Amino acid sequence: MNWEDLDGRFLGLVDTPRHALETTLVQFAALFFFVTALLFLPRVWFYMSFIVRNLWRNKIRTFLTGVATMVLVLVVTLVWTVLSFLNLVTSEKASNLKAIVTERWQVPSQMPYAYATRLTEGATKEEGDYSIDPKQDSMTWAFYGGTLDPANRTTENSLFFFVMEPDRFLTMMDGIDELTAEKKAEVEAAIKAMESDFNKVMVGANKLRQLNKKVGERIKVTSLNYKDIDIECEIICELPEGRYEQAAVMPRERLNRALDDYERKNRKPHPMANKSLNLVWLRVPDTKAFQAVERQITTSSEFKSPSVKVETASSGVASFLDAYKDMLWGMRWILVPFILITMSLIIAMAISIGVRERRKEIAVLKVLGFGPSQVLILILGEALLVGGLCGMASSGVTLWFINGYLGGFKFPIAFFPTFMVPEEALWWGPLMGLGTALAGSLTPSLSACRIKVSEVFSRTS
Amino acid sequence: MLQSLALLGVVGLTVLFIAVVVPQLGWLGKILSRYNARNLVVRWPITLMLLAAFIMQVGIVVVMLAFVRGLEALTEGSSIPGNVIVMSEGSTDELFSNLGYSDISDVERLPLVLRDESTADRKPLASWEVYVVVNQPLPDAVVNSRKFGCKFASDSLRVVELPKASFFEALAAVASDPFSPLAAMSRAKGPMESAGLMAGDEVTKYNNWPVASHDELRRVMMGKQSGMITLGYMRDGKAGEGQFSVDAIRVLERARRFLQVRGIDSPETSLKVHGFELLAGKVFSEAGVRTINLNGSERTAVEAILGEGIARTLGEDVDKPSLVEGDLFYLGDSVQPFVVAGISSTSGSTFDSEIWAKQSLVGRKFGKNSFSTVVLRTQGAQEAASLSRELRDDFKKAAVRAQTEEEYYSSLNSTNKQFLYAISFVAAIVTVGGVLGLMNTMFAAISQRMKDIGVLRILGYSGFQVLAAFLCEALILAFIGGLLGCAAGSLADGFTANSIISSGQGGGKSVVLRMTVDGRIILYGMSVAMIIGLLGGALPAFNSTRIKPLDALR
Repeated sequence: MNWEDLDGRFLGLVDTPRHALETTLVQFAALFFFVTALLFLPRVWFYMSFIVRNLWRNKIRTFLTGVATMVLVLVVTLVWTVLSFLNLVTSEKASNLKAIVTERWQVPSQMPYAYATRLTEGATKEEGDYSIDPKQDSMTWAFYGGTLDPANRTTENSLFFFVMEPDRFLTMMDGIDELTAEKKAEVEAAIKAMESDFNKVMVGANKLRQLNKKVGERIKVTSLNYKDIDIECEIICELPEGRYEQAAVMPRERLNRALDDYERKNRKPHPMANKSLNLVWLRVPDTKAFQAVERQITTSSEFKSPSVKVETASSGVASFLDAYKDMLWGMRWILVPFILITMSLIIAMAISIGVRERRKEIAVLKVLGFGPSQVLILILGEALLVGGLCGMASSGVTLWFINGYLGGFKFPIAFFPTFMVPEEALWWGPLMGLGTALAGSLTPSLSACRIKVSEVFSRTS
Repeated sequence: MLQSLALLGVVGLTVLFIAVVVPQLGWLGKILSRYNARNLVVRWPITLMLLAAFIMQVGIVVVMLAFVRGLEALTEGSSIPGNVIVMSEGSTDELFSNLGYSDISDVERLPLVLRDESTADRKPLASWEVYVVVNQPLPDAVVNSRKFGCKFASDSLRVVELPKASFFEALAAVASDPFSPLAAMSRAKGPMESAGLMAGDEVTKYNNWPVASHDELRRVMMGKQSGMITLGYMRDGKAGEGQFSVDAIRVLERARRFLQVRGIDSPETSLKVHGFELLAGKVFSEAGVRTINLNGSERTAVEAILGEGIARTLGEDVDKPSLVEGDLFYLGDSVQPFVVAGISSTSGSTFDSEIWAKQSLVGRKFGKNSFSTVVLRTQGAQEAASLSRELRDDFKKAAVRAQTEEEYYSSLNSTNKQFLYAISFVAAIVTVGGVLGLMNTMFAAISQRMKDIGVLRILGYSGFQVLAAFLCEALILAFIGGLLGCAAGSLADGFTANSIISSGQGGGKSVVLRMTVDGRIILYGMSVAMIIGLLGGALPAFNSTRIKPLDALR
């Protein structure tokens, strides 16, 4: 876990939508029933019986084409999962915006804690200014990283704390609605305890496993970014698996007191004392309010040394993604198209071979009265059925396996811990399958339409 | 090493199979080879499609690996075996390190540190550095918005392009830069257009103040916090005026990039320690500033040495291939310009993306008054290891963390490894797709040629010979497809791309990397192709041996 990427590191924990598996399954079932209903339409059924029988005749070819389609759809689904997620988190919202206040020019942002009070109010100056309720709609963050074994520091024995107002964990952090009622009650109780005893902390489930610690145990954390500010604390709650599984939460007051103690003992302030505010989160109802707050803060003379900037969470994330733009471009415009073309080629080869093998059958169909358009439908139908169904199956299984079983997949980009396959993937799969099947089978299908009965039978005779 | 050997083994065995085993089949082998080759030609549409699929799959793998190789090359090229990098204790990256003046002066006096014999006082070869990352709004996003506002001629204030704000333009903008928050603005009319400007207009005034250059206009607009902006312009010889709200710009201002700025004390020493030379220009002066003439008035500009990569990046902002000596650019919120004093030969290292300027100026400007690191030059790798050990174990004057540059940069390989895992995963899945596709085609080829196989068997060919023939066909296809795929993927060689390298312990550096296709990558690409050929061809080929001649001819 990269605990020191102060500005951007944890933006990933905000506005990272998770997709309810239940909703997904309902949609998937609806799609399935829709497809099934189509099968019962008489005209469709007529063609479908032909198509299915043809596919069934060469099971190995159908199987291989289908599986090849599925694995390639899997890759594209994963790539699009990453891209669509990044698109989502960098899209500006129109309402219920979260604004981030950080140091204007430097990364990582390190502001004096003295800024906190006025910033969390929205830096109102005069009547008519937009005012923020600091208790409800603001949150301050400092980042405290440390290790349990300073002599032999590893990723496993290191942990990272959000230093914040404990009560804001439930009101300002995202993904709280995903907690079970039981877990939520447990977190609420822990927050109350943390407000009265600043030595209590919450730690993510995965991190606890790595540290080999349990709830109720005490730990001594040697700081890495606040030199000589070591913290002894009691773990009172385990944050659930998912976005907070690697994180930990410490009351702001704990850090403040530690910094004060340092100053008392050493007769000078700690070098980080004036840099212990990394981020301030503000919640605003709409763009107008955001612009008002932004103007109030950036024009205020109170925040000039260092000067600060206000941006929406989405634009903050976008700035951090700038360094990855070439890689994302490559994924979008090289990897995905190449894979889609490969899928088309695989389907094209299978259909071409099928058409070549069945020239006589197609000629017989024509003798029996089938027109070119009907032949076209039959051949295209085979490709579309395999492509569509396998695409749907692939994306469905990917979604179920990644979201439901793995709890997201890890991809090393920016500061996002895991990516969840969105529900839209249920449409991507069939669409990819159908699209590539259509592209791959169009030429062989048209050549099947142009088969001349006389030519086929003259050769036979 | 083991991986490379394994890959070499796969390719070698396959080539051995084709080159040695098949000729051993004697005249039968020759006939079979001709039969297979002819068959590939006769079924040319399928052969071409298969080759195209190979090119796609192998090409993707080669391009992805070229990206990772480029990252590896950067970290390898940034270290000098004799260098030791010293940070403050507990720091995992120079971004978080704070060293005091006295800490460094103590450290650089250690006996293992080399002296610069070319200087009269034999100064220690120690580069005192402060490293900051500056959060810089993209100039494009402020005013010269090519997509959303308007485009100026690079050397004047003449508006050369105004947006049509059409759906297609918006679509193109989103497609070219989908992650930019600006994309959200693409459907709105640009601020310039809303101010009533048209293509061909010449902007002359900003809030009634004459403006002389595009960059000056940008600067003054950035400084404006709220309210309305009035632009004066000339159109067909007549003066005009247009107004728009600052809010429109403020939204545009959000797109940013992170610029890496390294403040150094003595540029000559730092260049020597890091092993770089100047490609153009000269090192900056002792004061670190020079007087320039800007729009007729004398101004003081901070002198800077740019890496080749960052010079190109900043050049793009002003429609030039690269900034050159004497060009100006701006950093942070300062109205004080920076002037390019020189371009350094940093290509192939992480320093390629850095701006170097006088430490005392940039440290103060960006709020870091201490030093981040000191890089010490020793005689060689052994001495560097000894010095880093000495600083770690025995040095008591200051709390520092020392490591050889090789150790430091190899720790930054963490991102590369993660990318490599992700790419290996994609390559594995693509290979599976390829295997299935080839298997499909080979099964079809065999079923089409049942009668041929029957005839061959009746003529006396053994099952093994038929198997070898079909496997050979698949491998030949794979070999040709692999070669073409590698050739296609090699086109990526030399392209530059932006990325990040990091130790996984925080920090990290934005870098401009050069994609590199080397022998090892070609070997990987060929291995992927041959694995597809081997696995995709084996099962159908084995199936062909089970065909009974009489059944086949029936």
